[in-house]
Amino acid sequence: MSSGCPPQSPAVAKSEVAIEGECPLLAATFAYWDNILGPRVRHIWAPKGDQFMFLSDGDVTFLANHTLNGEILRSAECGAVDVKFFVLAEKGVIIVSLIFDGELKGDKNTCALSIILPQTELAFYLPLHTICVERLKHVIRRGRIWMQKGYNIISVLSLEIVPIMELLASMKTHSVPEDIDIKDTVLNDDDIGDSCHEDFLHKAISSHLQTCGCSIVVGSNPEKVNKIVRTLCLFLTPAERKCSRLCKADSSFKYDTGLFVQGLLKDSTGSFVLPFRQVLYSPYPTTHIDVDINTVKQMPPCHEHTYNQRRYMRSELSALWKTDCEEDIPPDTVIHTDETFTPDLNIFQDVMHKDTLVKSFIDEVFMLKPGLSLRSTYLAQFLLLLHRKALALLKYIEDETQKGKKPFRSLRNLKTDLDLTVEGDLHIVMAFAEKLRAGLHSFVFAKSMYTSMQERDVLMSF
Amino acid sequence: MIGSPDLVAFTKEDDYGETSPDPWALPEEFSVPLHPLADSNPWAKTSYAKFTKDFILISEFSEQVGPQPLLTIPDDPKICGTFDLNYFSLRIMSVDYQASFVGHPPGTGYPRLSFVEDSRVVLGDSKEGAFAYVHHLTLYDLEARGFVRPFCMAYVSADERKIMLQFQELSLRFSQASECLKAGNRRAFAKELQRKLRDLEYTHSVLQREEGLQREAGPQCMYSAHAVEKANELANVEKSIYEHRDLLRQISSYHHRPRRDPHAVTCQKCITECLSECEVLLDKYAKLANPFSYCDKGKKEDEGQSQINEEGGEDEVNEEEDEGVKRRPSYTPQLIKAKSAKCFDKRLKTLRELCDNTFYEATVELLKDTEKSFRGDLCYLYTRRLDRTLRRKQRVTNFLFEEDLGDEDEDERGTLRPFCAVNHAVDNYTLLNPPPIVLGPEPLELDALEPPHPLDPSSEISRPQELCELGLVGSHLESSPSDQTLETQESSEETKGSFSSDKSGTGQADRQQNLASITSEGPDSDLTPDPDHNTDLERESSSEEMETTAGEDDGDNGGDQTPVSLLEVMSELEASREDECEGATDGACEIQSDLLVPIDTACCMAQEGFLYEASAPETVPHHEQSSYLQPCQTLVVNQEPQAQLPLQDDYTVGSPSSESPAAGLELPVGLLGDAVSRTSAEDGSDCTMSASTGSDRAASPLGYGGVLTLRQRKKHGQGALKFVRQYPFAMQALWCLLSGRTLVVLGADEGRVRRLVAALALFVPAPGKCGERVQAWLSCPFTLTDLQRWKLIGLQRVASPVGSSMLYSLSRYSRYISILDADQKTLRCPPYRGQLLANIADHRTYIRRGSTYFLHLQSMLCRLAAKAFLYTFTHHLHLPVSSTEGSEVVEGRRRCFLQEQLGLGEEDSLILLYLSQLITQQYLQPATGSSAAATCFSFNYTTSVFYKI
Repeated sequence: MSSGCPPQSPAVAKSEVAIEGECPLLAATFAYWDNILGPRVRHIWAPKGDQFMFLSDGDVTFLANHTLNGEILRSAECGAVDVKFFVLAEKGVIIVSLIFDGELKGDKNTCALSIILPQTELAFYLPLHTICVERLKHVIRRGRIWMQKGYNIISVLSLEIVPIMELLASMKTHSVPEDIDIKDTVLNDDDIGDSCHEDFLHKAISSHLQTCGCSIVVGSNPEKVNKIVRTLCLFLTPAERKCSRLCKADSSFKYDTGLFVQGLLKDSTGSFVLPFRQVLYSPYPTTHIDVDINTVKQMPPCHEHTYNQRRYMRSELSALWKTDCEEDIPPDTVIHTDETFTPDLNIFQDVMHKDTLVKSFIDEVFMLKPGLSLRSTYLAQFLLLLHRKALALLKYIEDETQKGKKPFRSLRNLKTDLDLTVEGDLHIVMAFAEKLRAGLHSFVFAKSMYTSMQERDVLMSF
Repeated sequence: MIGSPDLVAFTKEDDYGETSPDPWALPEEFSVPLHPLADSNPWAKTSYAKFTKDFILISEFSEQVGPQPLLTIPDDPKICGTFDLNYFSLRIMSVDYQASFVGHPPGTGYPRLSFVEDSRVVLGDSKEGAFAYVHHLTLYDLEARGFVRPFCMAYVSADERKIMLQFQELSLRFSQASECLKAGNRRAFAKELQRKLRDLEYTHSVLQREEGLQREAGPQCMYSAHAVEKANELANVEKSIYEHRDLLRQISSYHHRPRRDPHAVTCQKCITECLSECEVLLDKYAKLANPFSYCDKGKKEDEGQSQINEEGGEDEVNEEEDEGVKRRPSYTPQLIKAKSAKCFDKRLKTLRELCDNTFYEATVELLKDTEKSFRGDLCYLYTRRLDRTLRRKQRVTNFLFEEDLGDEDEDERGTLRPFCAVNHAVDNYTLLNPPPIVLGPEPLELDALEPPHPLDPSSEISRPQELCELGLVGSHLESSPSDQTLETQESSEETKGSFSSDKSGTGQADRQQNLASITSEGPDSDLTPDPDHNTDLERESSSEEMETTAGEDDGDNGGDQTPVSLLEVMSELEASREDECEGATDGACEIQSDLLVPIDTACCMAQEGFLYEASAPETVPHHEQSSYLQPCQTLVVNQEPQAQLPLQDDYTVGSPSSESPAAGLELPVGLLGDAVSRTSAEDGSDCTMSASTGSDRAASPLGYGGVLTLRQRKKHGQGALKFVRQYPFAMQALWCLLSGRTLVVLGADEGRVRRLVAALALFVPAPGKCGERVQAWLSCPFTLTDLQRWKLIGLQRVASPVGSSMLYSLSRYSRYISILDADQKTLRCPPYRGQLLANIADHRTYIRRGSTYFLHLQSMLCRLAAKAFLYTFTHHLHLPVSSTEGSEVVEGRRRCFLQEQLGLGEEDSLILLYLSQLITQQYLQPATGSSAAATCFSFNYTTSVFYKI
């Protein structure tokens, strides 16, 4: 311990967060392992309202014990963030805890950032778990730097806790249902082109699939936006649909990193400003669909997206490291502060790769009579085909490379053997495979990309 | 110009660039890696774990030694490797999740049992690369501190995502196991209480007697110290009796308490049984626990002892209860010493003792099954689930190339249905040894045990739902009187493996092997390689070599471990179905005659909501045959598949009973109607001949009497790949199969022919649930009727008079069939110049493994099925737009669709037409299943071409 005096009993600070709508989150806590007092809760965030009454102080202490008990044995590497997930039926709660080490008052302490939900929300929360955890992990990275500097971590953590509360509240009311009625989608139109232009629909679905099912749909008409959102969600798995959000009729939600499909409403001026950083932090590249002007743009493929994302994260953390004032938290200002990193702000580009898979599907599905479930069946066949192709591709690469032990050099053979000679088809199937085996794009394509990136950087520096 | 290698050299961040570290540079521990391990090898994420594959660990927080591992599943030290189970147990058990109060709560006189709900935790050790789903539960032990013994069951994996993505399934499985343990524990606890109460009562009676004697011996108004001590002891025993009675009451009220855990899995039957058992005990001890029941009858009337008896039990009842107790010879009450052993002296009960052996065994079986069902790589597990979900939405085409899905909720059978592993085992304890297959996660395995006919004597055994409900089905399976029918069955089975084959023994062996592979099949071994397969790539490549060289020869070694009892039961089931079929033939023949009526695809179109209706038998489209079909559905479905096939019945009904002799065999006119002939009366006579010989045969389905599992199909994928690589004319052969032209594989070596047939069977559309459309080995001449029902035939080449008649039949029917000579490596069939199969049968393919080829094949066949579906159900293709439009115009439109919309040539169109025809028939007669396809028989006048290597 750093101080010789007996420590004062730390008071638990509480922040009540005003959230629009019903927030399923009961509370979020930041706790740490005090070397004398044991597990201590340092800060509690709770949505404003009656929910907080659900958890008494005793409950919070009990839960803090849970999250940190046993962590005295923690032997994780420095900087690692471990996730613990509790379902405590006795208390009727779910706790998600992220355990990490951080410096408090000159000592290394084990800390836990936790969010607490009622157990009844388990099915609602589970599909969103990865999104929440990834976002919290990154804010912890930033928080650790802040702690290292001796600053108050709470202000940094609040930057993500509050948006996560908002995200969960919005998902409670506007998440896409697991079962989508095809009647609510474009695929129920009598003929292709009834709701939107044929080529637009093809481009939108094709790009949506090429970007791993991750899309944002913007527009001025909420019904139109939501119809496209539902249509795109038809191509997702039920779990992915639960991570998708319809747009609000009156005002727009904020863009949320990690959702698969989200509908966003333009403001009265007819524009919607996307936060560069948040879009870049999405786990997959994103397709941008504007239903007002029928445009489809997409981000670079997975490997390039991941590379850009990591570079941006590193720059952001570096910028934070260099900050010398506690008040000056730089969330979105990296691009201005770090001169060595100049990301391409024009991340949404035209869809380059044409495909045959979606093209023929779109052409054919409208031949079937609507309203008889024929189209749903045909859609299921199409999705089955894509999933199987992805699995075959994955297995092909696995065989060729002895499960990644050797570099993959036979892309041309793969295309011929698996009938993926059309670039768009390959990208769609690769995107499906990427979701099954994260890092596949980087494994197959990254080497050539790194070389070209380095070339570009060097050329730019001349 | 500067080339890229030169530039890269400049860009490299090495020691030359920066000699002194930047003091403002962000330390790596605060940053994110730019090139994480997953980028260089997406499969390497889990490679640093010290164990080779996932396992289940049961640990206890012992009050004597702290957290300790008790058991791993599978119980193989190799699996855990150098992974420190002690340390991990300490980690997962270190959370005192049961912070609820146990012991004597303030204000209550008696100790309270704490009914704690289970808790579920996912945690990990990132350094060790180990992650776990941990299910905490509490068991009761009279000897333990606070009467509770904390345990946990953990599913340990190197893949954190696997656990989180399957959290709900894991939670459900472990909840089932936990409930099983707890149910057993409550019973054991109640029994323990019963014994304890009897001990206490006995002790009480002894003490009372001693005290009485002392009182009588001493002066009236004086009590010696010894007497006081005795009296105190007596009071303590009485108190203890009340406490234990209260505990008994508490454990009996276990089921009445409100459950706080919405995810708890309880079995109502189990609850009821346990509850009634506890109530009997409670009832008994409420009266018997009168501490004086052990006293002499004469003394009972003395000193108003009944005043002490708060329960006020009637003497008569006590007498009866006494009788009841006396009748139990198994337990002799013991005198309880005043001071019990010290905490560390006593031996704690094992988990088995705590839970009652029956329940313990059932739980372990359940956990073994859980381990199996979650074994393998996440991406394959995940895709398989998606695959099933999507296939469920396209039942109308599944019969073409997909394995059977079974019941609607079959895949949830193992995971989502309420499950009780013990209920039925208790009554049949001696039979409790469920083979792993019965609890197996693969619904396909249970598919083999089809729902039998209600009259089937073995229906109790084979009803899959019941099997699952029982949980310990194995016990029932074994308890069936299979040994009585086994011999009969064996003799009948011998004729099934092959026709007139002198190698029927091999058929039996194969069948056993086959069954074994069904039974031992967990998650697919190829697609879900076990982690040692994952980690040991050298071994994998060598196994790959074996696979390539040995081809289909490699048998499933797991077969040896198949429980004999299961084989017996399977045989019995088959036998019983055969019996049933004999009785049902008459009914079936009528159906067959109906099936022979030509069908126009257009008739699918006029029905609104037809796909919804298709699933409900009572709303089968208004086809005039539907009235015939309904009563016979059960008969047909429940028959042995072979028996469903039309033999002479087809012909009999098709000719004499109908007005037109050829009506029964009238063929549908397809797109190329001019090229297609109808079967002649001459051909019909062949059928008669066939019927006379065929009546005493039973066809051998490809799966040797069973349903082909995904694993077997994948294994045959290796053979298919080999075929495609070896035979440059493979595409022609596959085209024959896919376009409905029967392919005869001719060869002298049975093994080779069988393997080839098994491989080619993957391409047979609508092969039937048990491969009824494939005859793996035939050693006698075939007939026209055979050609109608079999689309792929393995034919023995013999140099004998039989052989010459076979050759005669080959030449006679050559216009209907294609002949692949496995010995000469030649093929005689019409030429194929299409492009549709180019990707399925490219002999220059670089696909290395059979399983990969099978996946590719699956996707291609899925695409074909989708196109056929599209063609079948695109309404404007089949219906005239106006009343003036003739059939030629409609046909022209169809041809145009195939050629221009789908881009298919003439031969490729034939594939789609055939598949479409099958879909139509399947749709119109869903109940008859694949047998409907038997009506489809056509031939082409195109000259056959002779291909050779």
